[in-house]
Amino acid sequence: MKNSIKTRILSGIAAAALLLTCAGCGSAPAATTTAASAAPAANDDSLEKVMSAKKLVLGLDASFPPMGFTNESNEIVGFDIDMAQEVCDRLGIELVKQPINWDNKEEDLNLGKIDCIWNGMSINAARAEAMNLSDPYMQNEMIFVVPGNSDIKQIEDLSGKTVGVQTGSTAQEILEAWELYPNVTVTALEDNVTLLNQMELGFSDAVFLDSVVAHYFITSNNKDYYVLPGNLDAEEYAIGFRKADQALRDKVQETLKAMKADGKLAEISTKWFGSDVTTIK
Amino acid sequence: MTNEQIGTLFQLMLQYAVPTMKIFALTLLWSIPLGMIVALLKMCRFKPISWITNIYILIMRGTPLLLQLIVAQYSVPYIIRSDICPEFIRSALGGIDIRSEAYTFNMMLIAFVLNYAAYFAEIFRGGIESIPKGQYEAAGALGFTRSQTFFRVILPQVVKRVVPASSNEIITLVKDTSLASAIPYMEIMYIAKKQVPTYASLLPLFMAGAFYFAFAMVLTVLFSFIEKKLDYYR
Repeated sequence: MKNSIKTRILSGIAAAALLLTCAGCGSAPAATTTAASAAPAANDDSLEKVMSAKKLVLGLDASFPPMGFTNESNEIVGFDIDMAQEVCDRLGIELVKQPINWDNKEEDLNLGKIDCIWNGMSINAARAEAMNLSDPYMQNEMIFVVPGNSDIKQIEDLSGKTVGVQTGSTAQEILEAWELYPNVTVTALEDNVTLLNQMELGFSDAVFLDSVVAHYFITSNNKDYYVLPGNLDAEEYAIGFRKADQALRDKVQETLKAMKADGKLAEISTKWFGSDVTTIK
Repeated sequence: MTNEQIGTLFQLMLQYAVPTMKIFALTLLWSIPLGMIVALLKMCRFKPISWITNIYILIMRGTPLLLQLIVAQYSVPYIIRSDICPEFIRSALGGIDIRSEAYTFNMMLIAFVLNYAAYFAEIFRGGIESIPKGQYEAAGALGFTRSQTFFRVILPQVVKRVVPASSNEIITLVKDTSLASAIPYMEIMYIAKKQVPTYASLLPLFMAGAFYFAFAMVLTVLFSFIEKKLDYYR
């Protein structure tokens, strides 16, 4: 008899576990659509929530130098981080840097694990649809990098070669829309630095990536790389907020504008890029 | 990389070997007992319980652990938001802070434990069923009760039979802990991956590899010692 009570309790636990597993996948599409289609709510308490919690949770991938990355002592640093830190200081709140899995960033944002995505995120149509984006704060070009001793000297030489690109990035989308795309072999990988390492080892002939990342990498590591002249497409970086969080987005935007006006933004930009590259007006 | 940089990196990696070992130890601590219970449930004579257990094992062994880790992470907020969720469950789950480190860790641990319990259950069931029926009959003839038979005659033989298969599973767990880096949870693999762009070198990954190798090596030695100790009935 004792045995049967035990089994009943345990099967209950097992069933609950199954329910837990199934519910996660079952309700996913419904929740995403409601979050994405919700118009900015009339009673938007997003700013009050952040101000009363006294912290802004910033989601990032933490492997995107120089925007947001992990340093030698495992602290998260970068241009975006300095910028966000200054915004939070001015609002009198704490900045929480929360590493996320970049593939699930929209989920983490919509489910409230983080308050914003701020990690050199390029604007594209899908992201503009899924999030409430800030005004673009920086311009970025997509460029090709080849090893210094390569006989590829211009973009046209890439025909028939292998090109590395980051998966799930806007770089990949731009590359796919390129007229020479059918003539190149593409290897897609998780992060840009691994791609550059692979290029050095001969896995690919060139890497297509963000110019800020490429230039920072080349100068900070003294690499003998050659940047092909010209670029495919210029794009812009923005901060992503939840669709409904209009008040929070506006407050951050307003603070960034004030930082641009009093020269703080130029100071941060000079620290990372040598000049003021920001495009906030 | 300079020697100094290698030293800094090594210390950092060593520091995050602790979370890896924490996942490993806690998963074993919970999944082995749960595996035993699941094995007994699967052999239950009341068929519906056996069927439910079977479905559980099928799902756990039939889907990638990586996927289970992600599903576990997102389960609570989705359950709260779902329309069919009863009010009492919603209010019970509503108090959970999905931003806390405890939530991340506990949901990850639940996924690891449920997954590994399914594998252990099959190992234990195989061990129990490998004991000939005749032994139960003989024990009965000698006046042993059912529980006496199980604990005094069957279990000592089961333990030694399941050790080789379990050690296989346990050594696999050492390396499976690295899946936690996808959540992301800060353990040795996560740190290794994030330090690759920092140093523009693959050395962090090799260091992580060396750590897993050393860990597995220690366990291999430990298990061959245990197997020798359990070399009774020969």
